[in-house]
Parts: sequence; structure tokens; C-alpha cells
Amino acid sequence: MVRFENVGMRYGMGPEVLRDINLHLEAGSFHFLTGPTGAGKSSLLKLLSLSHRPSRGLLTLFGKEASSLSRDELPELRRKIGVVYQEFRLLDHLTTLENVALPLRIAGVEEEQISRHVEELLDWVGLGNQVDARPPTLSGGEKQRVAIARAVINRPQLLIADEPTGSMDAEMGLRLMYLFQELNKIGTTVVVATHDLGLIRRFGYPVMYLKSGTLHHTHAEEYLQQFDRSLY
Amino acid sequence: MNLFGKTSELQLEKDASSRYLPVVISSMIFLAALALAGLFSISAAVENWSSEISGNLTVEIQHVGGDAQDRKVEEVVSFLKRTPGVETVRPISVEEAASLLEPFLGRADIIRELPLPRLVEVTISENSPVDLNAMATTLNKAIPEARLNTHRPWLDKMIVLARSVQFLAAAIMLLISIVTVIIVIFAARTGLVMHRDVIEVLHLIGARDTYIARQFQTYFARLSFLGSLPGLAFAIIVMVLLSLLAGRLDATLLSAPTMVLEGWIALAMLPVIVALLTLFTVRWIVLSSLKRMM
Repeated sequence: MVRFENVGMRYGMGPEVLRDINLHLEAGSFHFLTGPTGAGKSSLLKLLSLSHRPSRGLLTLFGKEASSLSRDELPELRRKIGVVYQEFRLLDHLTTLENVALPLRIAGVEEEQISRHVEELLDWVGLGNQVDARPPTLSGGEKQRVAIARAVINRPQLLIADEPTGSMDAEMGLRLMYLFQELNKIGTTVVVATHDLGLIRRFGYPVMYLKSGTLHHTHAEEYLQQFDRSLY
Repeated sequence: MNLFGKTSELQLEKDASSRYLPVVISSMIFLAALALAGLFSISAAVENWSSEISGNLTVEIQHVGGDAQDRKVEEVVSFLKRTPGVETVRPISVEEAASLLEPFLGRADIIRELPLPRLVEVTISENSPVDLNAMATTLNKAIPEARLNTHRPWLDKMIVLARSVQFLAAAIMLLISIVTVIIVIFAARTGLVMHRDVIEVLHLIGARDTYIARQFQTYFARLSFLGSLPGLAFAIIVMVLLSLLAGRLDATLLSAPTMVLEGWIALAMLPVIVALLTLFTVRWIVLSSLKRMM
């Protein structure tokens, strides 16, 4: 599904922010991505979401090599990827319903289907009574739920979430993690970038952690032990 | 997008740069409409002069004095009447010539004493294939004192002048089109920069470049169309006023500008043409700019 081979990334002529990244995400797997601030998490998520191209190495998504993708092929691939941004990136002038419906509208889904699916999902994330509200009137947690709903509305094959539970209470955070789990069960590959050790401990999925621009793979338990040791 | 040109995802109507576009387009259309009206009016005038003059000829008979002068006139008249294709032949009397010259030279009784050439007015039948050069040569051979004046050199000069003015009007139209395109490019580029974040989100959730370009092109084309209407209306008012003013001038050449049907159709098409020009310019500039984004 996703394969990185010696991938490096830099912004413009700047230094490499990611070096020799090797990873393989199988279809239907669930991973946590973690690491200290500035380690390159956001850059790795940009590569995964096809927002940037690698400066070197081979990045293969859904069997296609990213650097050889034509401009016409990009939208189709991006529709298979759902992204939850840390800063939400909602369109402030659109209602909750319109924001969530956007990926379906862009994909040309019929209006009747759109409103049915979107209302169902908004109910599920606890925003059924906020369909006409606009992002500036919503709380941080509510905005995050709208962003998550937008990312999962078209049942992506790859779901990338950057700190998806950072702005919400523990109960809602768990509820949304269960939603990710449900999607994972039906075959969606999920990558959750987080600093929340509680989530890693509770769900126990494999951990990829970034340190000074390089990626390391480990199990949740081992990572937590490493982390505990580093504290003392 | 609703009736008033509001875009659904990109709030282009919030851009200050695009807000002034209708005013600029309106001014451009005003100038373009006047240039276009000038183009068609001059074209109609040239056609008019040409058709009026090519059927009318004048034969000039040198002054020979006394009865000989009248005989020469009679000879010319009988020659012309025998010539095929000639419709009417009318000798202009000395009195008539003197009264025509009176406003320029003074008293008619004195003018009558001057050694003036005699004139014969000739009309050629419509669609008659008369070779005027051959006719002039034959006339000159038969009556050496007579010379056929076809007005062609004068008309040619007038046509050159009119064509120059037409060329100038067309150049103005071209200049207006180029300026309009530049302004539209500037407004579209500003819109692209201002909405970069939203465009990036749209791209990342699977929007094609054409989906984004469609929002830009429809919005700007609508602005151009709506902006061009007041400019066109104002230009028509100015043209009517100019026509009324020119109509009051008692001049033969400077007649009131008249617009042919094609001219009115071209004027009516201006808002559509400017909207299409905007649409294709914006589409081209947006698509080429988006190609540089991931």
C-alpha cells in the first residue's frame, strides 16, 4: 500500500528534514507516528498525503511511484487518502455539513447521497445538532470532529491523522479512536501522529518514531519502555 | 455558485482586487464601444461616398471664348449621349457655374466675365460596365479641349484617410483588449495568492485543477459581463449625443455618424466577447499557475 525506500525530503534548497526513510505500510494496518517536535512528523505526513514530493528516494503509494505521477493521476490517488490536519484546515464560510460534504461533492457524488451520508456521520461524531454551524462558532474539539468527519466521509484507503484527539476531551478522543478502529477493520490503513502516550498504551498498535529526521520502527510496549527509561 | 457570482468554496467575492474589476471593465468597454462605433461609422461613410461619387462624372471644357465655347459644349453633349452606359448628360450653364462660385469668388456678374471652363454633369447607369479611362481617352481625342473628371483621385485620398482612421480604431480596440487581459490576469493571480490555503485543501481532498479553475473563470466572466453593461450603455448615450451634434453641423462630408446593423450587433456582442475573453484568460492563467503547485 505505502512504501518508502531511502526517501529524503528538503524544503527548497534547505537542509534535509527527513533522511533515508524506509517504511512499508501494509493494507489494513494501524500505526502510531510519534517523535519530538521538529523531528519531521509533519513533513512525513506531507509525503504520505501527496502534499509534497520526496527530494530523493522512492515513494510508492497504491502501487504508483509518487515522483512519476502525472498531474491528472494525483486527484484520484488523493481521494483514496483522508487527512486530519492538526490545524483542522476547515473552510470557515461553509457550514459543518458543507465542509464534511466537500470530498464527496468534488468526487461528483449525488446530492441526495451526500446529505444522507454526511448527516449520519455528523450524528455519529456528536455534531448532529451543529450541521448548519460554521467553524468559527465551534469549539476546538468540535472543529476537530468536523475535520475527522471530512477525512473519513469517502471511506479512504489510507487515513492520516495529525494529533486527532489533541483538542477534545478523553471520552470523545476515545470515541474517535474507535471510529478509526472501525475503519481499520474494514481495510483502511491508519496512521495516527500523536504525542499522547495514553493512546499508544491503550491501543498498542506498532509505533514509528522520528528522531532527528530518521524513522525508527518498534512495538508500542517497547517504545513506552524506552520512553520511561529516557525519563530517568 | 449563486446568481450573484458568489463562489462556493473559494470566496473570490471577498477579494478587494476583483471588487474593482467591473469598474475597470466598464471603462474599457466604454472606450471599446466608441472605437467600434467609429470603425463602423467610417466604414459606412466610405461606402456612401464611393457609391455617390462613382456614378457621377464631370466633363471640363477649356475656355475658348464666344460661340465656339457653346459649340464645344454641344459636341461634348452629343458625344456623351452616344456613349453606351451614360444615363444623363446635363451641361452647366455659365449662370449656374457663376452662382456656384459666388460664395467663394464674389459677385456673379463679374464671375461671368472670367475665362471659366464649362462643365457638363454626367451620370453613369448603375451596374454599367463603362471603362472610364477608355471613355476619357476617346473623349479627349474627339474633342481635345474636353477632359473627363472621374473624382477618383479625390475619392482615393479620402478612402486612404478613412482607412487610416479605421486602422487606428482597430489598434485602439486591440490595445483595450490587451489591457483588459492584463488586468484580468492581475486580478486572477491575486485571487490565487489570497486563496492559496483553500486551494491547497481542495487539492488534497481530490479536487482537479479544472474544478478550481471553473470557480475562478465563472466568477470573473460574470464580473466582466456585469461590468461591461453600464460601460456599453454609457457609450451608446454618448454616441447618440454625438450623432445629434453632428446632425446639426451643415457640412456635406461631416454627416451624422450612422451605424449599420452589423455595427449594432457588434456593440451588443461586446459584453459577451469580454466575458468570453475573461473566461479563457482566467482559465489559462489559473491552470498554468496551479501546475506549479503540488
